[in-house]
Amino acid sequence: MMPRFLRHALTIARRDLKATVMTPTFLLFLLSPLLMIGFVVIGGLSGQAAGAAGEARQVIVAIAPAGQQDALRATDRELRSVFTRDSARPRLRLETQQADTAKQARAVFDSDTMEAAAVLYGPLDRPTVLRRAGAEAEGRYLAALAAQTLRAEHAAGIRSIAHFETVAREAPTVSGRGQAAYFSTFAIFLVTLMLSGQAVGAMAEERSNKVIEILAAAVPLESVFFGKLLGAFGSALLFVAFWGTLVANLPKLMPAGLAGALSDLSVAVGPIFPLLLIGYFVMAYLLQSAVFLGVGSLASTQREIQMLSLPITIFQFAMFGMASYAAGNPESWVATAAQVVPFSSPMAMAARAANAPELWPHAIAFAWQGLWVAITLTIAARLFRRGVLKSASPKRGKRAAA
Amino acid sequence: MQELAVSASGLVKRFGDRRAVDGVGIAVPKGLIYGVLGPNGAGKTTTLRMLLGIIEPDEGERTLLGSRFPRDESDRVGYLPEERGLYPNMKCREAIAFMGALRGLPWNTGRQRAGALLESAGLGHAADDKIRKLSKGMAQLVQLLGSVVHEPDLLVLDEPFSGLDPVNQERLELLIRAQRDRGATILFSTHVMAHAERLCERISVIAGGQVRFEGTVDEARALLPLRARYTPHQDADAIAAMLPADAVRQEGSWRFTVPDGGIEALLVRLIDAGHGISGLSIERPGLHDAFVRIVGADAMADQPETVA
Repeated sequence: MMPRFLRHALTIARRDLKATVMTPTFLLFLLSPLLMIGFVVIGGLSGQAAGAAGEARQVIVAIAPAGQQDALRATDRELRSVFTRDSARPRLRLETQQADTAKQARAVFDSDTMEAAAVLYGPLDRPTVLRRAGAEAEGRYLAALAAQTLRAEHAAGIRSIAHFETVAREAPTVSGRGQAAYFSTFAIFLVTLMLSGQAVGAMAEERSNKVIEILAAAVPLESVFFGKLLGAFGSALLFVAFWGTLVANLPKLMPAGLAGALSDLSVAVGPIFPLLLIGYFVMAYLLQSAVFLGVGSLASTQREIQMLSLPITIFQFAMFGMASYAAGNPESWVATAAQVVPFSSPMAMAARAANAPELWPHAIAFAWQGLWVAITLTIAARLFRRGVLKSASPKRGKRAAA
Repeated sequence: MQELAVSASGLVKRFGDRRAVDGVGIAVPKGLIYGVLGPNGAGKTTTLRMLLGIIEPDEGERTLLGSRFPRDESDRVGYLPEERGLYPNMKCREAIAFMGALRGLPWNTGRQRAGALLESAGLGHAADDKIRKLSKGMAQLVQLLGSVVHEPDLLVLDEPFSGLDPVNQERLELLIRAQRDRGATILFSTHVMAHAERLCERISVIAGGQVRFEGTVDEARALLPLRARYTPHQDADAIAAMLPADAVRQEGSWRFTVPDGGIEALLVRLIDAGHGISGLSIERPGLHDAFVRIVGADAMADQPETVA
């Protein structure tokens, strides 16, 4: 037989979850990140397109006699393999030398058909490079092109052919750990920020449709609060499960290079890390929601609840700030403080899991955070009883005396 | 001494400076329909909420179904609050099952019983309708069914008749009696005397946070003297002199309070004087008058009045 406290809480949680999930609004809630992703993708694509269009028109120009042009082209092809896509120089355009090369070179900048960033002319051992302001790198590239072409001409036949092999590092790098620590802190923060605000309005709803009197009469307030918390958590869990499954399968769809970079984000505790991360998400959610539930229960109007959302967000950011500092500086006293303060503890401990291999502190952390969920709910229920029902708490101590 | 379902003594509840309930005591025997009567703001609701353990009294003791901690017995209690409330998006059947589940009844049993209860209350057609579609009176009946679905030993109803039309009031009275016949104790508050008069086996009258009267309805009515309505055979102004001082003439009849010694001596005198008797009725005043008298008179007095 389940303890009454839990039975009551589950009855309320079940009703809440059903009432939340079985509505069209929940679908909107579930899919809302799609909007965010959509905007990011559209913004990124159009930014890239605009940049690409500008770059495509840009060229660098080498003015050379016809006989030298093939050598320059070959050197250019070879040099370009050094650049990644982002740092690539504009396309090279070769122009045949005319009588007044200096005048010809200046005329290139005024051309309507191309946008020249830099122009090279003159003999390869002493070329002149004209460049627009800000196109220093393009100028240097043309100079290097000239030098390399000259070298190739004089030392024909000398070649270096490299053999390439990819190697993965066995142990995670320190910077990889730091990134993983920050990443886990941020993930927990983002998800709780999105989800835990729901709890604020939960009790106000009960008060506005007057069901609170039925609940309060049948069930201890602590159970009501815990049930509300579980109900909200249920819908949050659905959300996380849905998006978690998608995100977890993402590496399979990603290009191999990116997936390799992700595997560099290894963590100190090893394969148990995802479990810890989920565990700390649960604790972060429960802790913060418990606070919001309690604070929200004291508000009597929708307006008051809306007013509360700003301080609540600031509170969340403060906790995140502390935890992310802790992620970057695991040895600092701030890190210890962030791990101990109950409301930043889940985020800070998730970061710790990435940074340090011991497991026992996590057992303590879970117990500590669980205790604080209970403390927060008890305080919330008492405040509600005092502030809203205008009643003291039942005096259990009397039972022993009776 | 009869076994008590609910008892309390010296209950005090302060809201700020105001003593909303000021030393209320109550003793509700098992298996009875018990009424708590009082004017608006008398402290009825606060008293019921303290008895149920929704709020804690500042002073005093209470026992509910044998426990000093009312909440421990909450699965054996049904409660209809004064402020009605249901989830508007829930179906009637689910709402009733939910209220049962809060009191420890399995959901499925609750759903089955809900169907039967709704049927018997004439709401069978609405079992799968959402609460928001119901009229206020229907929603109130649904909530009442929700408070009895787990077959509680004690049913507490706060102003159950308010907001119901006469037909639904009748249904509610039947339902309350059916619960009593099942063996439940019913404790309800009202300020409408007609229901109390018809239903209650015992009543308490609360006013100004204190108990003014406790006893049966008849005992309450007995607080007021009998009233007589006398129609003489031959009406004459001289009759007035023979009747008690409060006699009033009304369409050929006289209304007056029956004297302490009884009406017989007066009748003999009236017959001897040749006025004759064409009509005579002697009535107890209703609970309504008794209530007004109890509440009105004791508002001035300090001591609560009780009938042993």
